[in-house]
Amino acid sequence: MPIRRGSPSPEGWRLIRRALREQRAGIAVGVAAGIVWAIAKASVPLLVQEAIDNGITPKDTAVLWRWTAAIFVSGVVAALFTGVRRYSAFRESRLVEAKLRDAVFAHTQRLHFAYHDHQQTGELMSRANTDLFQIQNFVVLIPLTISNFITVVFVTGVLLFIDPVLTVLALGSLPLLNYLGKRFSTKLHPSVMAIQRESAELATVVEETVSGVRVVKGFGSQAAQSQRLTKEANDIYDVSMEAARVRARYLPAMDLLPTVGFIFVLGYGGYQVLNGGLLLGEMVAFTAYIGLLIWPLRMLGMIIAQSQRAAASAQRVHEVLSTDSEITSPRAPTPLPRKGTAKLGAVSFDDVVFRYRGGVDAAVLDHLDLRVEPGESVALVGATGSGKSTVARLLPRFYDVESGRVRLDGLDVRQLDLLQLRRAIGIVFEDTFLFSATIADNIAFADPLAKDDAIERAARLSGAHDFIVDLPDGYATEIGERGFSLSGGQRQRIAIARAILADPRVLILDDATSSVDPTKEHEIRDALTEVMHNRTTIVIAHRPATIALADRVVLLGEGKVLVEGTHDELLQTSASYRAVLAAAEAYDAERARHEDEDEHELEGTFT
Amino acid sequence: MWEGAVDPEDHIDVADARKIVRRSFRMMRPYKRQVVLSLVFIVVFTVSVPIGPLLIKYGIDRGITGEDGQALNRAVIGYVIIGVLAYLSYRMLVMTMSRAGEGFLRDLRRRLFDHLQRLSMTFYDRHKAGILVSRMTSDIDTLAELMQFGLQQFVMNVLLLAFSIVLLAVVSWQLLLLCLIALPFVVIASIKFRRDANRAYLDVRDRIGHTLSRLQEGLAGVRVIQAYGREDTEIGRFADENRALYDAHMQSVWVQSWYLPVIEMAGLGSTALIVGVGGWMTINGAITIGTIAFFVLTLNNLFEPVQQLSQLFNTVQSAGAGLKKVFELLDTEIDVNERPGAVDLPERGDIVVDHVTFAYGDGTPVLRDVSLTIASGERLALVGPTGAGKSTLAKLVARFYDPTEGSITFGGVDLRGGTLGSLRERIVVVPQEGFLFNGTIRENVRIARHTATDEEIETALREVGVFERFASLPEGLDTEVRERGSRLSAGEKQLVSLARAALVDPALLVLDEATSSLDPGTEVLVEEAMARLMHGRTVIVIAHRLSTAERADRVGVVADGRLVELDTHDELVANEGHYAELFSTWQGGLHAA
Repeated sequence: MPIRRGSPSPEGWRLIRRALREQRAGIAVGVAAGIVWAIAKASVPLLVQEAIDNGITPKDTAVLWRWTAAIFVSGVVAALFTGVRRYSAFRESRLVEAKLRDAVFAHTQRLHFAYHDHQQTGELMSRANTDLFQIQNFVVLIPLTISNFITVVFVTGVLLFIDPVLTVLALGSLPLLNYLGKRFSTKLHPSVMAIQRESAELATVVEETVSGVRVVKGFGSQAAQSQRLTKEANDIYDVSMEAARVRARYLPAMDLLPTVGFIFVLGYGGYQVLNGGLLLGEMVAFTAYIGLLIWPLRMLGMIIAQSQRAAASAQRVHEVLSTDSEITSPRAPTPLPRKGTAKLGAVSFDDVVFRYRGGVDAAVLDHLDLRVEPGESVALVGATGSGKSTVARLLPRFYDVESGRVRLDGLDVRQLDLLQLRRAIGIVFEDTFLFSATIADNIAFADPLAKDDAIERAARLSGAHDFIVDLPDGYATEIGERGFSLSGGQRQRIAIARAILADPRVLILDDATSSVDPTKEHEIRDALTEVMHNRTTIVIAHRPATIALADRVVLLGEGKVLVEGTHDELLQTSASYRAVLAAAEAYDAERARHEDEDEHELEGTFT
Repeated sequence: MWEGAVDPEDHIDVADARKIVRRSFRMMRPYKRQVVLSLVFIVVFTVSVPIGPLLIKYGIDRGITGEDGQALNRAVIGYVIIGVLAYLSYRMLVMTMSRAGEGFLRDLRRRLFDHLQRLSMTFYDRHKAGILVSRMTSDIDTLAELMQFGLQQFVMNVLLLAFSIVLLAVVSWQLLLLCLIALPFVVIASIKFRRDANRAYLDVRDRIGHTLSRLQEGLAGVRVIQAYGREDTEIGRFADENRALYDAHMQSVWVQSWYLPVIEMAGLGSTALIVGVGGWMTINGAITIGTIAFFVLTLNNLFEPVQQLSQLFNTVQSAGAGLKKVFELLDTEIDVNERPGAVDLPERGDIVVDHVTFAYGDGTPVLRDVSLTIASGERLALVGPTGAGKSTLAKLVARFYDPTEGSITFGGVDLRGGTLGSLRERIVVVPQEGFLFNGTIRENVRIARHTATDEEIETALREVGVFERFASLPEGLDTEVRERGSRLSAGEKQLVSLARAALVDPALLVLDEATSSLDPGTEVLVEEAMARLMHGRTVIVIAHRLSTAERADRVGVVADGRLVELDTHDELVANEGHYAELFSTWQGGLHAA
């Protein structure tokens, strides 16, 4: 496609060009098949003409049979190659789509946390879905368009050779088809989009009325909801009629144009035949050719409109692909000291300043100094916003510090190979994310080759083994969206098992037992004691019982260490420590009751 | 290309189809004029299509071969007329058909929605929200697709096929027979194509679903993936899924790639037959050259409609299946409703629950033989284990359901004999969690009474003590509640919900106390708002907090579907029954952590 200077999506075009270059061999096959098809198909009217003028009119049966055979052969070739053309055109376009989808996914998997914090999943989903569909829709048209173009050129050439004046009369109106095709496509697109938008709005009204049916019925506000729906239904009607008006304006006109050509051929051509300036077969060929050109010309118009949409989509895809990850391994990483040499797992934060969006937000960590000795366990305690979770996120380099340094075993985390660093740290998040896979797969996440007994050992340590064996398929139970659904506490225990299996030198538990029923927490506590033994552990918690597991407690506030000591010491000496614990306790008590309520949905609640 | 695919379970038989069509026609009655006009225009347009080649034949045979300039002129003039007619009728057709079709859809949407709203809670308990929503959206959308494109094409192709066969037979039945040699191949191929294409399409749809959910999982779980350094594995797993999608796509492309050549070959092979055999007949004087030209030009009208119909068949069928489901929903009977001769409930009054037994559907009773009287202005707390039936009792009092046995009266009037309008004005339920609709805070409060003025809404917000809080937002009460960034917290949602109740100013308030923890900042506000709202009203509160039960005039303990205890807090604690036991666990629970 011609690339206009100042085109609104230059990178989009570049992306499409690059994709096409990669598929050039396949596309060439498609184009070649298209050319063969075009020539075979376009030669048929010519052969019919020969049969009429040299066979039927002079009453020569032998010649007639020869041309008939030729028509048949052309038919076979055209039929065969229309299939090849279609298959290869679609194959290449689907390949382009599939490769780009792989690329988008792979790229997002490596993008830093901060990117994902500000990017909605839905947005990325539509890059990898609807936008790629637009690109595919354009790419498939390329070989088809090239052969269509050749058909147009070939036919025009043949007709010009037969009778230039009649050619102009017969085909003169057809370029308008191309124009109308483009206009139609461009005009219809906004209406189609508007219909989709209005339908989505209607769906919202329906959805919330159904899910909020108790509120709607409780207040008898059916009439108001009906009014809202009527408005949306009317809006859909209006935009649909707008689309109908566009179709009414363009479709009949596009249908009419070839008729103009037919009429000229019949009128002017007919008189030419009467006057002896044209053979009858040639006139018939003209009419046949007009019919042949209708679709190629319409499609030439369509591709222009489609190319613009595809470029806009490609531009958006490019924006994702061109975002560089801000957190990458250094070019020459320093290896972490090997296991077994000395006591490992020393963590230190030196004068760390950090904010989530540089320059915008207030500092979450404000010159924080913190040191954890190898094998030591530290509980981080603090109110919401004190920065305790942030500490957990800086060590595995989910984010980089603004100033200061985070060190693991004496090495700045930015010096280390990212994979090696993250493998050395096991982190359990508060909101556990499990994958749609078996429980065993979820536990063996860090090491897919882990043996069954290793998985079971990890599950036992996290207190998950007992409920797992009670599940229908034990460790092979599928969980997640399409599988078995687990309670919050069960999910957390699996997440803990996942971290244990990784056997990290530093274990971070970020409020990892918050959803575990307090009555069962002691089971995990016993297990955790074993896991934490001789392993550097950072526990972010608010339950006194969990906090008590740690050798040392650090109270954070406003991004700094306020006070540290053992649990008992702090309880006695620090009023702010007691305040934080009390607030957390109240919160926890409420939540525990809520959880309990959740598990008994028998009766249903007013929602 | 063939968007509508049919799930195997969506097949509809002839009897169903007939019923659906008849009913659709009945619903089309308001658009009778448009429908009749559409039919006229579609016939005119379709007839004009093969008339063109017929005029060319006439021009060739009478005008050129017969060397009659007048005949040629007549053919040209006829062609011009046909062209204009075709243009005009097509144009009108698109408009009349859209008016009828879109109008029908609009009516269907409204009717279905009104019906949905009138259905009882029992119905909503039995049906998943997602399925109900999809009746109104995806099922009607397949219909819209049919209206915008499919139906017109379908009728046109049927007419064109029939009309072309008639014309060809009239012009030369011998040549028509030649063309029909290819027809069985085309029909068989089309049937196979339709079946294969449908299967391939369903497979593609399935694969798209898998790929998107893998994608979604990879994006939602990206933090865990990176934390465990599993990027490469996940990328590989996604690539496998994506590859399977590609293969499914290629399978459906393959189906088209063998089908198209069959159609192409039928057309061009028939052309060869017509030219060869027809030419030979012309030489022998049996037919004219014009006839050959006519046949060569009209052949397309024979095979193309078959191809188009085979592709449209799925669209038509899935639209039919959608319509069937929509009609089934429209036929669902409404059970809780206003009786004829219903009277308004009195302004205030005692509530008498008299020997009430209730079961959801045909299940075992959730409440058995419950009797109780709540005096006007009294505050009653209901407590008991989850599932015991306390919220069911509250729902019956608000007439979300009707009792299976026994009766509930308000000020002496049986709830079933009261008007729904007065019922909603006297009795208001405040659910556990505030449910917000798309829109502003103001609109969300107005849900409770959509005739309320802005002042009344502000008064209601003041009454629960939150006016300042919302008014101080950058956009005040016009803040959109669901837009990104300005979402309200759980506590704030609850406050909106309470303001709704204040707007109605009911005599009886049913409060389902929130069990989930609210943000500390709003927790206090919510409690204050509840206290204000309860003032001077009859209140039934489903209590989850000890303090709430303590504050009530009387406490009812519901266990196993029965009202087992009913007395003041102090008496109940002294009695050492269920409540005393609950009370001690509660206290224990608070201190355990």
